[in-house]
Amino acid sequence: MKSAQSRIKSISNAKYGYLFALPFVIAYLIFHFYPTIYTTVLGFTDCQGLNNTEWHLLKGNLFENFQRILTNKSFINSVKNTVIIWIMNFIPQITLAMLLTAWFTARRITVKGQGFFKVIFYMPNIITAATIAILFHALFAYPTGPVNDLLVRNGIIEASYNFYVKKVAAKILVAFIQFWTWYGYTMIILISGVLGISPDIYEAADIDGANGMQIFFRITIPNLKTVLLYTLVTSLIGGLNMFDIPKLFLNGGPDNSTKTASVFIYEQAFAGKYLYNRAAAASMLMFVVIAICSAILFYLMRDKDAAALAKLKKQERKAAKKRGTGLQGGF
Amino acid sequence: MSKTTYDEPKSAKGPLYYAYKVFQYVFLLILAAISVMPFVIMIVNSTRNTSQIESHAVSLIPSHYLLQNFKILGGKAFNPWVGFMNSVIVSAGATICTVYFSTMTAYAIVAYDWKLKKPFFTFIMCVLMIPAQVTSIGMYQFMYSIGMTNKLIALILPAIAAPSTVFFMRQYMYSSLPMEILQSARIDGAGEFRIFNQIALPMMKPAMATQAIFAFVSSWNNLFLPLILLTDKAKFTMPIMVSQLNGDIYKTEYGAVYLGLLLTVLPLFVIYFLLSKYIIAGVALGGVKE
Amino acid sequence: MKMKKALSLLAALSLMASFTACSNTSSPAATDPVDDNSPADSAPVDSEEETPSESTAEETGDKKELRVWAFTDEVPGMVQKYLDTHDLGDKYVMKESIIATTDGAYQPALDAALAGDEVDMYAAEAAFILKYSQGEAAKYAATYEDLGIDVDAKIKEAEIAQYTVDIGTNPDGKVVGLGYQATGGAFIYRRSIAKDAFGSDDPDTVKSEIGPGWDKFFEAADKLKAKGYGIVSGDGDIWHAVENSSDTGWIKDGKLHIDPKREEFLDLSKKLMDNDYHNDTQDWQEAWFADMAGTGKKGVLGFFGPAWLINYTIAKNCGREVDEATGEVKAEGTWGDWAVCEPPIGFFWGGTWVLGANASPNKDAVGEIIEWITLDTSEEGLQYMWANGTYNPDNATKDAVASNVVMKKSDGKIDFLSGQNMFDIFVPANEFANGKNLTPYDETINTAWRDQVRQYTAGNKSRDEAIADFKQAVSDQLDIDAE
Repeated sequence: MKSAQSRIKSISNAKYGYLFALPFVIAYLIFHFYPTIYTTVLGFTDCQGLNNTEWHLLKGNLFENFQRILTNKSFINSVKNTVIIWIMNFIPQITLAMLLTAWFTARRITVKGQGFFKVIFYMPNIITAATIAILFHALFAYPTGPVNDLLVRNGIIEASYNFYVKKVAAKILVAFIQFWTWYGYTMIILISGVLGISPDIYEAADIDGANGMQIFFRITIPNLKTVLLYTLVTSLIGGLNMFDIPKLFLNGGPDNSTKTASVFIYEQAFAGKYLYNRAAAASMLMFVVIAICSAILFYLMRDKDAAALAKLKKQERKAAKKRGTGLQGGF
Repeated sequence: MSKTTYDEPKSAKGPLYYAYKVFQYVFLLILAAISVMPFVIMIVNSTRNTSQIESHAVSLIPSHYLLQNFKILGGKAFNPWVGFMNSVIVSAGATICTVYFSTMTAYAIVAYDWKLKKPFFTFIMCVLMIPAQVTSIGMYQFMYSIGMTNKLIALILPAIAAPSTVFFMRQYMYSSLPMEILQSARIDGAGEFRIFNQIALPMMKPAMATQAIFAFVSSWNNLFLPLILLTDKAKFTMPIMVSQLNGDIYKTEYGAVYLGLLLTVLPLFVIYFLLSKYIIAGVALGGVKE
Repeated sequence: MKMKKALSLLAALSLMASFTACSNTSSPAATDPVDDNSPADSAPVDSEEETPSESTAEETGDKKELRVWAFTDEVPGMVQKYLDTHDLGDKYVMKESIIATTDGAYQPALDAALAGDEVDMYAAEAAFILKYSQGEAAKYAATYEDLGIDVDAKIKEAEIAQYTVDIGTNPDGKVVGLGYQATGGAFIYRRSIAKDAFGSDDPDTVKSEIGPGWDKFFEAADKLKAKGYGIVSGDGDIWHAVENSSDTGWIKDGKLHIDPKREEFLDLSKKLMDNDYHNDTQDWQEAWFADMAGTGKKGVLGFFGPAWLINYTIAKNCGREVDEATGEVKAEGTWGDWAVCEPPIGFFWGGTWVLGANASPNKDAVGEIIEWITLDTSEEGLQYMWANGTYNPDNATKDAVASNVVMKKSDGKIDFLSGQNMFDIFVPANEFANGKNLTPYDETINTAWRDQVRQYTAGNKSRDEAIADFKQAVSDQLDIDAE
């Protein structure tokens, strides 16, 4: 890395690299790193109770909080809920987003009014989750909410259905709200990914006489890998931290069926008995879960061709820099 | 971005083609209806009174109780403007911080060569995975100890470190920042900060705009941290205000609750529809490229 | 360039918003920030300035702020009324923070505010008052003596109900909080439905139809069912009767304890559900209110509740509509179709205690207001107005209050009950009110319990499972193990 650099600049410029990265580093250290460490430390202490400032490292069993959390059925249950709800939301979401992306980027059979549809589909995403949760709570109210009203009036069901006492129904609803909020966003990201694929590849495919299906599955999807990974990872991280909607929609109920890990942590730390140390331990465990999931995803999505390509690109870039010309020459 | 329409399929214009088109549009329209319906119900119900909503919660015909609902809402000490202004301050501040400093950080990675560059980028990627909730306990205790609870600034400054935006900007810069221009500016004797602010930054505009929108929306919608850090009603952001609409002091006035929700959404609607074309196009412009 | 456009548009919008806010007098914080923190101002440093607090200070002028925290607009309303009608109003303005107890949102917010010394006066409900008077948050409460109230003498003089005093006394034996209501419970029923099912709407008849005891209660439910009515709206209605008629609270010697009477709630609730005796509503949810207006799935006979349930909830939700301008009644709803009688079991429910913060710099003012709310027995005192419907002329309902002296000189006849004197029922009911079965964590534990009971009655799990899961939930959430 260091060797192939233009000699004159690297020396004088290195300090700017550090300088430009400095604000990020400082803000990160103060607002993210320090709280993270603080949280980690709290996980090993006896810090409980309202605004407790006098706490000590646990004597004896240092890992007591972690053990208590790991044997805490509500916590295990909340992690399960989180994963289930995320999967129930993500699979339909990515499927639908892919379908829409295929339609909206189709080069032969174009969809008219695309702009309109994109605007409408993306719209729920800009609305405050809190608003959405409360709106849906009103919409699915039992026995006289709008949805029940519609279903009963049109004879689809005989009597109002109480969505809020059925565990499965509640989970599905939370997943649906998440899906409803995010599919437009995912679609837009995927579309932008497709538009980023070089048109040359498509032209070549056209010349070879490939049909729409073939083009989508053979060219679009493989070339979308990075974007898909990005979507998957951000959605996973977001999903495992799901808070607003489960909290405000049914407050984690019924029977804790929509209590996600974040809601659990919130309740441990900020409601009831202020078990900061337990909440901190739960937070760290969640972080480990997220890190492992992300690592697995990265590993699964990593393909050797791309890795090799990246290496090649890097060399190219170095060569280009050496020659003093830019990479790809802008747009 | 121009669509290649010259090669209309030669074979496809048969009945199958039309069936496919009909299916496509019907599907899209249903989807659009699902996306819009809750908002329509919200808007219509904000003009109806409690007993109308109780007897039939769905109606497409607006009634005339808007003013009365407004009065009820006002009488309950619900002040959407305070929440709106606080949210604007926090979101605008956080967006500016996020976009400017993330671009700067990405620039540091792309434009310069420094020893710790690679470890630094890996580090950012790892940070990307630490969610706010994980650190919230420590964050609260920390903010509490330095007296930053109930200060909007406590929600703005942390936005300077936004790993995912840095990640995105880096991707974009690699493909769209022509190094030779920077180089020639350097030869002309421009300082590094000037090069960044006056040459690199303007070239990053499309990507910055995209990220600005996402940053603004996510900051605007953030509930977890404000909920923990803010207790003073005059500092409440919109999501906190909305979350309180669910409380039992509002429960009995459905029309007013729908109106409250509408008021919180209205500014977003206005901004969104004014900028929608631009938002969608901007997003498309700055896609994640590799 | 597009970026700039977007931002200037944003700025314009927020400016627009601030103009609108200017015309809205009740938003002191909204006006100033725009000038300093316009989003178009690209230097992020600028947004550091914390203008809203300054502008609040300006707006209030010389007046000091009284920061009042409550979970309904009731107590802030009283404070405002006191400030409006007394000299104190020249020196202070109220700044209220109202956060509903729904989803348990009030306590965490109040706790944080108390810890930050941002509260002068606050309200606590029976479900969590012990935490603030005797539990871990008791350290934030000022004693009434400290607030300048000659509390012991005044309590005697006003004959304040003993349980109110007991609950509001801290571990050192000092009074830190008092309520203004008496919350002994009654059965509040619809006259028309009673007449249809029992042949009479007379309180004595209805009383002997529905009680005493749950067996008689379910017999009555059968009779009502035959006529197509429910006896109550949802299981929450009988829960409050069960909860506060039990002998012991949720926690005994630091362990979770399920009182047999509370455990029986599982069976009572199941019986209501299986026999379709109610509309299966949840209290404080839409459908529950609908039953008060008689617009629910089927008519229900009544609700268990103290006087405040009439005044605060049923009367407001009975479907009566009055034209504000002309005073003309546009719809009667169920107004006037109500009466009260003795419940099948004696109970009390709720009540609001008023506390002053230890760290408040305005203790004299807080003391003055609290004394007016909780201990003043004169006709200008809050309790007299509260009991006689003169507090708010627009909503002339009455409530039983804590002071016996006031109760003796008040009259509980109201139109809503078709002229019945409700104090005849509510005053004797107060003997059931006591603080011995309250715990600091009732709100959280009740939520978990009710949730499990609903799961059991909905047929989603067995009785034993429900109990086991309840114990688990409490242990997981509060770190309190079962006995």
